[in-house]
Amino acid sequence: MGTFKTENPGNQPVWVNTNNCKACDICVSVCPSGVLGMKYEKTSTLGAMISIDHPEACIGCNECELTCPDFAIYVADKKDYKFAKLTDEAKARQAAIVANHYMSLEQGAK
Amino acid sequence: MAFNYDKYLRVNKMPTLWCWGCGDGVILKATIRAIEKMGWDMNEVCVVSGIGCSGRFSSYINCNTIHTTHGRTVAYATGVKLANPHVNVIVVAGDGDGLAIGGNHTIHGCRRNINLNFILINNFIYGLTNSQISPTTPQGMWCVSAQNGNIDPTFDACKLAIGAGASFVARETMLDPKKLEKILVKGFEHKGFSFFDIMSNCHINLGRKNKMASAMENLQWIDSITTPLKKWEALSEAEQLNVFPTGVLRQVEQDEYCDLYDQVIAAAQGKRGKITQDDFAKKI
Repeated sequence: MGTFKTENPGNQPVWVNTNNCKACDICVSVCPSGVLGMKYEKTSTLGAMISIDHPEACIGCNECELTCPDFAIYVADKKDYKFAKLTDEAKARQAAIVANHYMSLEQGAK
Repeated sequence: MAFNYDKYLRVNKMPTLWCWGCGDGVILKATIRAIEKMGWDMNEVCVVSGIGCSGRFSSYINCNTIHTTHGRTVAYATGVKLANPHVNVIVVAGDGDGLAIGGNHTIHGCRRNINLNFILINNFIYGLTNSQISPTTPQGMWCVSAQNGNIDPTFDACKLAIGAGASFVARETMLDPKKLEKILVKGFEHKGFSFFDIMSNCHINLGRKNKMASAMENLQWIDSITTPLKKWEALSEAEQLNVFPTGVLRQVEQDEYCDLYDQVIAAAQGKRGKITQDDFAKKI
């Protein structure tokens, strides 16, 4: 049984509910600034789990929250959190994550 | 604090039974956000769904829900709406539910122009029963019930709704949830039959057998077959054949069925004369 976490766990731009996540890669693919990535996770059905690698780069576009089919990822309100601006470095990181089959860059290729 | 979905969901039923990356969840989320924007009281909302993956829709949303028989969603919803005209009724059906077995009910709902919001989740396949061809499966795709490739010509659901007389017809994909939410709000505000053809992905039962095995590959394919209405109109006839226009395709003011039915009630109670052809602008 899943539980919900719409409350911000403590000054975070983006947070996840790992009970609901099914590791479909959609949120990673829509992120413009390389905040998210998939990490290997033995207990998950698809063998992966979402992880937030670069919360400081989040621009608060809300795309990941809107495209998540499983109500697993949430983004803070623009008035509650000061989001970063989109940088070239973040764009390059996102391109690298997509090229890495949506896997987090911190653990090598899939 | 983020958007509070808990208020609108049956939290103890989570996580959903849908496959990873299924568009149904995105459409559920967009519907919830549209309901929030409309400011509807959840006690005054009724969601009617049929059989299929889309049928699970009514299990997760926390309002008055009916999980009905296969294809009869519009029939049940018509009853709900006529008995309680103040209730906002949302009908959810899949492409098999709404166009194949329930095609009959769909066209007559459109023809009556009753104030329902009909969300057709079009994933191009019978997903729940493991990949049989549906009325919208593209020709030439491989499915379990078409082992040598599908030869059945496909259905354009929006053209059907326009032809049958729905007063609001729109098509959108689940690729852009913000646009989807906006179009749902537009349709919910409209008085009359609102028909939404929402294209969704089924990378498990359509994609795996047609070289798009992940959610993202299937979504890219949906992106390649849709284009906004303005751009679509600029295309040549040969190019239009292989792309679906998205956006609001038709929006007109038409007599609504509940209002007309009030006239029947008034006539039966003797509060007005019998309804004659003079009451209508369109006589044939």
